[in-house]
Amino acid sequence: MEPASGLRLDHNHHLSLREFPYIIRWRDDRCKRCGKCTAVCPVKAIEATVKVQRLVKSEGPVPAPAAVRSITHIVEQVTDMERYCTGCGTCTLVCPNEAIEPEFNPQHKFLHYKNKGGDGYKRGGRRNDPSISTLDRLKFTRISMLTDPALDAGRHEFRVRSLLGRILPPEDLPLKTVDGKLTVDKDSIFIPPVREIFPIMIGSMSIGALSPPMWEGLAMGVAYLNEVEGLPVVMCSGEGGMPPRLLRSKYLKYFIIQIASGYFGWDEIVHALPHMVEDPAAIEIKYGQGAKPGDGGLLMAQKVLKLIAKIRGVPQFVDLASPPTHQTKYSIEEAVAKMIQSMSMAFGFRVPVYPKISGTKTARAVLNNLARNPYAAALCIDGEDGGTGAAYNVSMDKMGHPIASNLRECYLDLVKQGKQNELPLIAAGGIGKKGNLAANAAALIMLGASGVAIGKYIMQAAADCFGDEYNRCNLCNTGKCPRGITTQDPKLYRRLDSDRVAERVVEVFKAADVELRKLFAPMGRSTELPIGMSDGLSIDDPAMAERLGINYAC
Amino acid sequence: MRAKTTIKKKSAVSTRQSMAKKIKPEEQIVQIKGKTALIKGKVNGKRVSSRVLEEWIQHSVQEGARELYIIADGQHGIGGRIWPRGEAIKITVEGPVGQRCGSMGMSGTEILVKNSVSDDVGWINCGAKITVLGDVTNGAWNAAAQGILYVQGSGGARCDTMTKHNPRFEPPQSWYFRNVGDSFAEFKAGGIAVVCGVNPRNTENILGYRPCVGMVGGTIYFRGPIQGYSEKDVQLLDLTEQDWQWLKTNMKPYLEAIDRMEHYKELTRSSNDWKKLMAYTPQEKRARKWFKTSTSDFRKNMWEKAVGQGGIFAEYLDHELTLLPYITTGAERRNKPVWANEKYAPPCAYACPTHIPSHKRASLIRQGKLNEALELVLQYSPLPATVCGQICPNLCMQSCTRGRLDKPLNIDKLGKLALDLPAPKKAAATGHKIAVIGGGPAGMSTAWQLALKGHTVDLYESADKLGGKIEQCIPRERLPHEILEKEISRFRELGVNLHLNTRVTKEKFDEIYKGHEVVVIAIGAHQPRKIAFPGSGDIVSAYDFLKDINSGKHPDLKGKKVVVIGAGNVGMDVCSEAFNYGAESVTSIDIQKPAAFGAEMEIAKAKGTQVVWPRLTERYDKKDRKLYFKDGSSMDADFVVMSIGDVPQLDFLPQGIHAERGWIKVNENYQTSDVKVFAIGDVTGLGLITHAIGHGRLAAEHIHYLVSHAPRFPEIKQVIPYERIKTEYYDVCKGDFTPEAEANKCMSCATCRDCRMCEATCYWGAISRVEHKDGSYEYVVDENLCIGCGFCAGICPCGVWEMVENV
Repeated sequence: MEPASGLRLDHNHHLSLREFPYIIRWRDDRCKRCGKCTAVCPVKAIEATVKVQRLVKSEGPVPAPAAVRSITHIVEQVTDMERYCTGCGTCTLVCPNEAIEPEFNPQHKFLHYKNKGGDGYKRGGRRNDPSISTLDRLKFTRISMLTDPALDAGRHEFRVRSLLGRILPPEDLPLKTVDGKLTVDKDSIFIPPVREIFPIMIGSMSIGALSPPMWEGLAMGVAYLNEVEGLPVVMCSGEGGMPPRLLRSKYLKYFIIQIASGYFGWDEIVHALPHMVEDPAAIEIKYGQGAKPGDGGLLMAQKVLKLIAKIRGVPQFVDLASPPTHQTKYSIEEAVAKMIQSMSMAFGFRVPVYPKISGTKTARAVLNNLARNPYAAALCIDGEDGGTGAAYNVSMDKMGHPIASNLRECYLDLVKQGKQNELPLIAAGGIGKKGNLAANAAALIMLGASGVAIGKYIMQAAADCFGDEYNRCNLCNTGKCPRGITTQDPKLYRRLDSDRVAERVVEVFKAADVELRKLFAPMGRSTELPIGMSDGLSIDDPAMAERLGINYAC
Repeated sequence: MRAKTTIKKKSAVSTRQSMAKKIKPEEQIVQIKGKTALIKGKVNGKRVSSRVLEEWIQHSVQEGARELYIIADGQHGIGGRIWPRGEAIKITVEGPVGQRCGSMGMSGTEILVKNSVSDDVGWINCGAKITVLGDVTNGAWNAAAQGILYVQGSGGARCDTMTKHNPRFEPPQSWYFRNVGDSFAEFKAGGIAVVCGVNPRNTENILGYRPCVGMVGGTIYFRGPIQGYSEKDVQLLDLTEQDWQWLKTNMKPYLEAIDRMEHYKELTRSSNDWKKLMAYTPQEKRARKWFKTSTSDFRKNMWEKAVGQGGIFAEYLDHELTLLPYITTGAERRNKPVWANEKYAPPCAYACPTHIPSHKRASLIRQGKLNEALELVLQYSPLPATVCGQICPNLCMQSCTRGRLDKPLNIDKLGKLALDLPAPKKAAATGHKIAVIGGGPAGMSTAWQLALKGHTVDLYESADKLGGKIEQCIPRERLPHEILEKEISRFRELGVNLHLNTRVTKEKFDEIYKGHEVVVIAIGAHQPRKIAFPGSGDIVSAYDFLKDINSGKHPDLKGKKVVVIGAGNVGMDVCSEAFNYGAESVTSIDIQKPAAFGAEMEIAKAKGTQVVWPRLTERYDKKDRKLYFKDGSSMDADFVVMSIGDVPQLDFLPQGIHAERGWIKVNENYQTSDVKVFAIGDVTGLGLITHAIGHGRLAAEHIHYLVSHAPRFPEIKQVIPYERIKTEYYDVCKGDFTPEAEANKCMSCATCRDCRMCEATCYWGAISRVEHKDGSYEYVVDENLCIGCGFCAGICPCGVWEMVENV
């Protein structure tokens, strides 16, 4: 009979810990019950509770039983799927005694259960695929020793730089000689704006997706790299506006402002236009995102606090939806052309404007349209391994196109048209997934990219983001980021030191600069970025080699 | 070393001889006279190969020559690898000299080149002294480890690269009179280089483009303008006195060797003319700050100057711009504990329609206040021994948390213990007049409560006894009559004005309505429901059947086959009584799964009642003594009782009181559509006796506020979830019933049992017990110590502590 309280007993739906993706290993013998772990667990996956043990002893020469009960206070993992352990390991981080640690459970059945309420599992992070990506399988196999001038990364001066913006072919350049000197006649035709940048940029992550100290830390790091180190790294704002203080500062030139389907913050940006002392580095028009192709975004009302509301130009506590598509988009020709026109016009045609799309089989169609548009400054393609603050797991895991072949086919299309040096391609999505930032970037550059954009990597490297491809943490969408990276809760984001983030950004980019030299120098390239230098690349899979048009080496 | 062994070997000598034969005559290449030898690199217009020239040089030394004069013709490596075993070898070279002159030169060798040399002079020098009266080109002194290089002119690119200092020997020295080319001293690891800067070819930069890249050791003295050097590798310094002395001392032999003594004064004029470049030590490099400026300084001095104080977001942030640790206290905690004593209802009190707080009774017993504990129940019910102790299915016990561990608390037995208690004291009379129509459990309950609160209550009962169906229909075997009588007599002590044998008609109701502030209708349901089918007139209702028995009219069912239609709890009472009065067999039928449960069902089944379902009755044939069903089957039935419930008789109701389908409609406060009239118990729908008692209490509560004109905010407590009660603390119970044992068994759900477990478990000492003057206590949290770990909430035996968001 059912108990009178109406509680339904349903033991069959009690999950065992074996179904969970991470199992907490807690050591009774080490724990001093200080409660730090339970205090910090972002999802309350662990809690203090009571354990009873009963021991029957018989110590005499004849049976003389004595039962001893002992009740202890323990730390226990809960078996509620809504409070599953994400494996973030904040408990391990704060434990003074190394008494607690989550352990990945490869037999978990998480996705079988994570659909309560009839909604699919949503999360942050990127594709949960820990296998070696194509980018990490690419090797640099054309080494100059005696066949080309052997360069030394440590000894030779390098300029690892790329160009963002449409580059006119030499025959179109209005060159003329004035007083015996070759100059460009800038008044005769439209000369598209071009920026010289470091080929690795920080991709679009919005204020809102990121916490204030995270976004500011990245921004400061970028400014530092430019101002102090002379490394022209740029960063994209993401769709969430830009703080007016930054818009009006001289540092605006290091930032690419993104416009996406929600147009958030753009009225505030327009209001700031007359006060700008510098042009932004570029404008990125977001049409798609590698992590969730064809899907939009939603910043939930509880995250829309004062700061977000002000910067995005919206009231507080409302849901902010970025639809999957721009509402005024009717065709490639019409939509892209008019967006590029509008955005170019906003900044007096002095700023490169380029669209960003998610990796797709149809990328070449977009590219060919852009190739014919004299105002299109570049094309950014975000592959399937790109990250996001929030998306359905199914979009992240199963949708999208790998970046390598997508970028390659686009580049080869440009080569066919003889325009490979005119329209830069920016590749993104999964760069540095296994930590090989420079190698992945170099591989993409040699497949044809003029630059690459990183997101997840910099969160991991600069702010110690716990997320990985074993679905560790990935709480970005919940606002409970234990590192304070993707939350608007001051109690959490005040854990993050923006000065330290900036410092790490500087270290990351300086190291990447060194590593890019270490890769390019032995291949004999130092002054020009080896864009499309695919004869330097090999892969250990013949089919991949054929698809990418590179060498097969084994 | 190799030169020596080559010469010593016989085969090598024969090779040399055969070689000499080929180039005839050998005297044309080499002429040895005592200790001198003349060696020509070009004979009869034909150039001698580097290999052959080398053989003759080695041969000459082997033959005893110690002064060699070589007229070169571009041969490679002239003058190196000669090992005179302690003696000195002087080699003078003139003519076009090939690459790597003096390479691997050994100590004791002195080479004088009378003109400029080609690349890599002194390559891997191991001690030779080389003087070049001209320029050295690219790569001079590359990898030199010992020895001296004197250059009268200037050096080409990449001179002095990879030079070393082997601690077994003196460091190598290289002296350049004019200037050197680009990439000077790259990866220099030791040795001393001197660049005098006299009449330099590049007047703006005597050390060339980017010198000293990767330099880790050694010193460079130079005199003249430079344009940068690898700052991460070397430091630019003034000369020390020791440097200056060394330079002055060694300058003289250098200038003598290159025949430039006339510049001695100029070059040793002042140490201020000179600078030195020295490699940073590894320690210095490690200690070096990696950042040109710290990011915090960058923020302060550049970023905030450009974007504003506090950074780009400061204007929108309401909190301090400081960092927080992962473990926080006070307002910065993410969650905080709350001592939510009695915030939730324990399952027993929640399940009880009267909400009798059995946990409080247990608490009082634990405190040694047994009487108070027993008396407490009378505040909730006038019939604890009758209802809780006898006839109630005890919903409280069914939901008791303890039952999840072993057995529920014996709340029924606690109820029985209240039998002999006197009536509690009434509150002072209020003067409010309230009428209660019906003296059953509902009417008695509400009258009891209202009387306790000091109101004047008139109770109207149509029968001659109080108790309603408890008196009339509950089999005496389930409820010994003396228990009921005892409790009714206690009820009477309270001074409710009883109007027995008073049937309320329309007119009477009107009179009562006018004479009282509030009227409570608690008439129950005393009209048996019947389904009409052929022969139903020959069927007795359960109501009449049971009522007759309790009033002394006993049926004779000896040897009869009894069928009871309707297998609810009343049906079960009928079955039991049928057996009591001699029935041979009793079958209970129902059209659906029987609703009966608890004691009624158990007693009836124990006596032999068969329960059969589903059966839809079609007709009863009294003659055949058969009950026919719609499925065509039949059943022997000497006596048939219909027990499908009773409905109220509402013919006295005025129009203003709304009823639906025969039941009076009430709101959550048991108020009818006439705000002055309340209805409770079975008249609002069939329920258990305990429901009737509960209605009575809750309605009285509301009426009390109503007549006192006080606003009422009823406290609606949620039930505490079972998981919050830590049953682990309790051992499985053994032993018999005593109130004290029961009290200890009680887990005190949602109510603090003052065990101090929270205080003990809190690692941070944040929890303490505070006793108030009135004897009450509470547990409080020092928020400056608490980190919000939730241990108190996790381990509280009673589930009193709970964690809430710290906002």
